[in-house]
Amino acid sequence: MISYIGKIVIETFQAILGVFSLFFSILYWIFWGPLKKKMVRRQSIFYQMVFVGLRSVLIVFFVAIFTGIVLAMQSAYQLEKMGAVIYVASLVAISLCRELSPVLTALVVAGRVGSAFAAELGTMKVSEQIEALEIMAINPVRFLAVPRFLALFFMLPCLTILGNISGIFGGFLVGTGSLNINPDLYMQTTFKYLELKDIYTGLTKSFVFAMIIALIGCYEGLNTKGGAEGVGRATTRSVVISFILIILADCILTAIFYFSKV
Amino acid sequence: MISNQSIPREIAISLKNVSKYFQGNKIIDNVSLDIFSGETFVIMGCSGSGKSTLLRLMTGAIRPDEGRILIKGKDITKISLEELDEVRKNFGMLFQYSALLDSLTVEENVALPLKENTKLADEIIKIIVKMKLSLVGLRGFEKHYPSQISGGMRKRVGLARAVALDPDIVFYDEPTSGLDPVVGGVIDKLIKDLSEKLLITSIVVTHNMPSVFNIADRVAMVHKGRIIEVNTPEGIKNSDNPYIKQFINGLPFGPIDFFKEDIAIEEILGL
Repeated sequence: MISYIGKIVIETFQAILGVFSLFFSILYWIFWGPLKKKMVRRQSIFYQMVFVGLRSVLIVFFVAIFTGIVLAMQSAYQLEKMGAVIYVASLVAISLCRELSPVLTALVVAGRVGSAFAAELGTMKVSEQIEALEIMAINPVRFLAVPRFLALFFMLPCLTILGNISGIFGGFLVGTGSLNINPDLYMQTTFKYLELKDIYTGLTKSFVFAMIIALIGCYEGLNTKGGAEGVGRATTRSVVISFILIILADCILTAIFYFSKV
Repeated sequence: MISNQSIPREIAISLKNVSKYFQGNKIIDNVSLDIFSGETFVIMGCSGSGKSTLLRLMTGAIRPDEGRILIKGKDITKISLEELDEVRKNFGMLFQYSALLDSLTVEENVALPLKENTKLADEIIKIIVKMKLSLVGLRGFEKHYPSQISGGMRKRVGLARAVALDPDIVFYDEPTSGLDPVVGGVIDKLIKDLSEKLLITSIVVTHNMPSVFNIADRVAMVHKGRIIEVNTPEGIKNSDNPYIKQFINGLPFGPIDFFKEDIAIEEILGL
């Protein structure tokens, strides 16, 4: 029993160490690599950006717009009792921008993109493709992990902004369609209470979430062991661990923003 | 042929008392070996004998626990990854399952080491890729993806990629396994041609006996992590060593005993 617990502790510690060393070698290749004429291929960054960003647009749009609709209806249910239905607009906008849009977008992208990273790199690992890269003197972190990391780092905040807009649009549909709020008034109330800091705290979160998703996906992929089963395990683990870490990071960041009055 | 034994020859790869452990088991046991420049050196042995591990030690994919490995006089066991990459620019390797990148076309796969490790212009890379592909008889398949071509063709693309940088040393991990005898023969011929025409040092891991006798200048037999004999193909054929006799004739019983440590069938059936 004790040896079992000890084993788990050691393995967890090794994994944390592994993720951090992957993070530092990604940073090394981004900032130090170009000085040594070892550029990351722009082509593969753009390819990954299309995969991460453009192909996620539809799912992020739908998740956010329905969240906006639900949020508007649920808050109207309570605000109606106080005759403050108009504040649905600001409630929807602020809770989306500060909290729901970054988190939900990150969760959707972790499920769609993080798992794809783990599965793709894991398959490459078990079919000796990673070893082939190493023999060709091509660093797998530079060649595979850095483009994915950069693509996610730039695209997730963009998707979050899309989530903000489509969520607010969802709230707008409910507010003007069913709650009979004047469209102009709805938009005015939205922007009256929505401050710039609400948006950039949300975006700060999404930069952190992007790093979590990319690191966990790539780490699980590059450390896959044992055939098709191993790829499956890596994929599942990448999603589960990213989900937990995203929620945990969200909690910590919200606390930091709250207590520092940002 | 350059296998003239009287001329003192340059040593391409040298293993000195190399040992490797996996989870407490000694997989490679105190191996010392010299491989000369320009020769085709075959490492043969049963599955699990440690021959693939030996190959991966030479490529630097894994590092030994004891001993030294010298590539052209440079010890690769204690150098940094960057220095190892410099050494590896002289390497090519053909993998057992080809290990082509699925996401790239045949052409892009062969071009990859050239794009990443040289400063050649794209037009020149294109010409080199065409040359390498015609070397393995695969002109016209440039735009295909690895999943669209047969296993034998993938092996040939892998071979074209392995020699793309005109390496000094090429490693072959079971180059003919999983191929039909004719395609296997084609791969053998390509290996032989490359080593003779381009003076490449070839290290081939295989347990395919026709290959061994077709291509080898020298053969090493590995058993339980040890090299039990190094000889010419003729010497191996006429060897008195009971292990080698059993291996080259493919006999189920002999000194290499798979049944020894298991329970006898009679015991299982209760007879």
